[in-house]
Amino acid sequence: MYIMSLLSMTNVKRHYETPAGTVKALDGINIQIDEGERVLLLGPSGSGKTTLLNCLSALDSPTDGSYSFMGSEVPRGNSEEMTSFRRENIGYVFQFFNLLQDLTVMENISLIQELAGNRDKSRAEELLRLVGLHSERDRFPGEISGGQQQRVAIARSIAKRPTLLLGDELTGNLDTETSDKVMQVLVEACEKENITAVLVTHDESLIVYATRVIRIDSGRIVSDEKTVSSEKATIS
Amino acid sequence: MFGSSNLLNKRLARSLWGTKLRLSAVIGMIFVGVFAGITFGGYSANLGPMYDSIYEDSDSGSNLADIWIDNESSIWSADQVQSLCSEIESSWPEGAEPLDQCEGRIVMNGAMFHMTDSGQNVINSVWHGIPHNSDVDKPWFPDGHSQGMPAEAEDEIVIDEHVREALSLSLQDVVTIGVGEGSMNFTIVGFAYHPLHIYMAPEGSLFPPESGEFVVGYLSSSGMERLTGLSQGSANTIVLDISGTPSFDLSDTEAYEGEELDGVKEAIASSMDENGMDGRIRDRGQVESVELMRLDLEGTKTMAAPFTVLIQLIAAITIALSLQRLVQSQTREIAILRTLGLPRKSIMSGYLIAPLVIGGFGCLIGSIAGPYGMNGMLDFYEGIVGIPIIEREIPSEIYLSTTGITMSIVFISGVYPAWKATRIDPLEALGGSSEMRVGSNYLQTLTGWMPTLLGLSVRSSLRKPARLGMTFLAVGISLMLAGSIQMMTVALNDTIVGGLREGQTWDAQVFVQPDGESEVVEWAIDKGASYEIVIEAPVGTLIDSSELQRSFVLVGLGGYGDGESMRQTEIIDGSEPAPNSVITEVMMDEGSLQMTGWKVGDRQLVSISGNELEVDIVGSVRGEISRTMFFHQTDLAGIIGFNATAVYLEFPEGVSVDEELGILSSGIQERESLLRGIESLLDQQTQVLGTIMVLGFIFTLAVMFNTMVMNLAERDFELATLRVLGASTGSLSVMLLFESTIIGLIGGLFGVIFAFGGALGLAAEFSTWQFYFPVVLVPNVAFQLISVVLLISVAMVPVGIFRIRNMDLVEKIKDLSQ
Repeated sequence: MYIMSLLSMTNVKRHYETPAGTVKALDGINIQIDEGERVLLLGPSGSGKTTLLNCLSALDSPTDGSYSFMGSEVPRGNSEEMTSFRRENIGYVFQFFNLLQDLTVMENISLIQELAGNRDKSRAEELLRLVGLHSERDRFPGEISGGQQQRVAIARSIAKRPTLLLGDELTGNLDTETSDKVMQVLVEACEKENITAVLVTHDESLIVYATRVIRIDSGRIVSDEKTVSSEKATIS
Repeated sequence: MFGSSNLLNKRLARSLWGTKLRLSAVIGMIFVGVFAGITFGGYSANLGPMYDSIYEDSDSGSNLADIWIDNESSIWSADQVQSLCSEIESSWPEGAEPLDQCEGRIVMNGAMFHMTDSGQNVINSVWHGIPHNSDVDKPWFPDGHSQGMPAEAEDEIVIDEHVREALSLSLQDVVTIGVGEGSMNFTIVGFAYHPLHIYMAPEGSLFPPESGEFVVGYLSSSGMERLTGLSQGSANTIVLDISGTPSFDLSDTEAYEGEELDGVKEAIASSMDENGMDGRIRDRGQVESVELMRLDLEGTKTMAAPFTVLIQLIAAITIALSLQRLVQSQTREIAILRTLGLPRKSIMSGYLIAPLVIGGFGCLIGSIAGPYGMNGMLDFYEGIVGIPIIEREIPSEIYLSTTGITMSIVFISGVYPAWKATRIDPLEALGGSSEMRVGSNYLQTLTGWMPTLLGLSVRSSLRKPARLGMTFLAVGISLMLAGSIQMMTVALNDTIVGGLREGQTWDAQVFVQPDGESEVVEWAIDKGASYEIVIEAPVGTLIDSSELQRSFVLVGLGGYGDGESMRQTEIIDGSEPAPNSVITEVMMDEGSLQMTGWKVGDRQLVSISGNELEVDIVGSVRGEISRTMFFHQTDLAGIIGFNATAVYLEFPEGVSVDEELGILSSGIQERESLLRGIESLLDQQTQVLGTIMVLGFIFTLAVMFNTMVMNLAERDFELATLRVLGASTGSLSVMLLFESTIIGLIGGLFGVIFAFGGALGLAAEFSTWQFYFPVVLVPNVAFQLISVVLLISVAMVPVGIFRIRNMDLVEKIKDLSQ
């Protein structure tokens, strides 16, 4: 089976100038992620993992280096082009879910479809079934639990069929049991929809849901390993 | 403890400094509130005693008379005047304040023949013959605002200061004047004011002509003898000065205040009967030129109070909303401080001081600027009435009350949200759970059918209904200031100017002595001009529903159908009066009908020159600012005993008013000049109102801007989320535009409702028996108001887009993850 490379970063740097000197948040990142991978970015606070996620999502632009996505260079500097890139390719899950509280569960998903220009009610319903929340479709986020909200956030992020799903500490605000449930939903959704995922976390226990683990420290990749799950995924 | 408090206060100061835009908006509104309070308060306080200086019974004042006896159609001899004054003095009622003076003089309408570059100009005029040593109703020479001295010699004249500049006159200039008996030259020895001519309009006219088109002059009694050929001491006016200032009936009140003078007037009337003399006996409330200025002053003072309250109310709402928001944005920091173990008291000290500092600064600059605003408004009013306002001082109570109220609002608005924030559980505030809300099912049902993005924008706008409601209230009040004035101005222009410009075809109205129209008619025939004889006499009285006697003008025209008269009337109800009916048929202006409670179809009793007359009211007429009863000319001539008081002339090409016509007449009013006068008066009047109108629009802008900026600032979370999720500026623009349009439309509708209500209120407040202000909801004005609010609202969209485009998403993501 031929696996295509989804994205690649070559010698990517993200330096910030501060009164105290230059902060090297990313300092020469070389990374290649293939389609279907579920990558876990692990590292201590300040290691640069969120900066890397921001660069991957085109929320931030590297100071130096090359970042190509599906063979094309990712736009940098121009906020409209960067937004357009995110709209077309990226799904994003926040730590605090960030569901819009004035919209119902269903409407939160529909909104993202609308923004992407393809409102599809049946798909929205199907995704809610996938995350096990179809019965909560007409409730407001404030009326459901944190774990349920995060599952809605996952459904929302994949509603527009993104190529790459990014999550920043997406279980950081949940207890272990709920975290497991959310991660299972995420894995199932990514496999079903063939979505590549890159997730930032402190939580080593989430390794079981990843196909690859990249450890970062001081803006550099210190290890990059495939996991047991990746072998299972390959065999299946 | 002090150390930690100082650090906390420093922290708060730095934190507030970080929101400079919002902070300056709050200080700006405090400034506006205080500035408006002091400006209007000071203005109102200084207008009160405005006429005291001129009316004052002193060497520097003019000592306005208390009673006037006059007869326009006959001249009393010196002996008659002497005899009447003696009779009045001897029959003076006991208990009444003593009579100080009784003095006869001649007051006559006439003309000034004024040479200009374009030829001779015949100017409608009034000439007073005032004995040199008179101490009542004399010209007023305020220091620094007048020139020269009273006329003494027979060839000397003092010209009213109001026209000096317009006619380019100087001391020692020679002017040519007449009273229908040829013309004479007089040398100008002074420029002064007169208490009966503060309002520069001919008697019977509510509108002053343009400056320089109506002249008043003050001659000595010998000068008047020379001008009229009448012997010295003869008079057509007798002025009476009573000790103190006896109260007289005020035409704008329901109560009757004239009891003090009733006995005096009765005594005068019987003295006149005994002397076989006939004439009007009037107090200050019945002399139109005096009462008009009092009403204007009262109206201006009355207007100042609600406008001040409205302006301060808008400022208060905006201050409260902005300051609350400013302090609410500190909730997180307060929670952090609480988590660190700081007691509520330590945290609160800064929030007690901050509003005082912010409010104190705003109040200080408002108080410094206030006197400039007041002087500007007084200068403006001075320009309108044309006499100087000499005494100007702002009472300390105005400073105290204005700043006191403002500081209280600022203090409460600043301290309350901080106190509330210290009550929140720190964990809740930091964990964000205090911000977790459940959306509204009602709104969901209401907007569920819309595209989700638009539904979201509606729901976000209505997320804080109380604040939105307050915003609409503030917008409504702002537009009440702006829109009500606009509605009233448009209605006034449409009814008054519109009627005169479009409905009337005469070029000049030539006033004549009763039955003196034939020479003017001959002049017209000779020149090929069309003419129409008319009666216009302010000699009608009626008893209104409050049992008060009201006077009105009688107008007799040849007909009221199309082309039947040079003065068209807009009949809005009923029909024109038929001549020679058994019961005389009349029409009344709509203001009279409204204020008397009479209606078309009624049969009513009125008094004309003291004789009772039953009339059938058959029609209602729009466009008359003064209270008027319209008769068929032949009917009215039969009732009052003469055919005409004026002749309307319509000139053929090449014919205009000339010296001959000036000599034949007792005054000429040209329609174009009257129109210019009315327009200029309305312009002047509406300039003050226009300033308030602009202020209202600025407030609308400030209130809307404040709300929209707050809305945007509060929605950072939402907008950043959407942006991260890939929402383009285009789709967010649509969302903001939709939201702004809805807010603008609702705000605009609120504005129109408030403005119309305000216009009705203002009209009711300003309408008196003398002046009736019609208010009609003009659709154009309503559309304009809605458009203004909509425009302001929509103009905020680019601000929002700019904010979104420049949002640092990396920073926002950090915030969203905390």
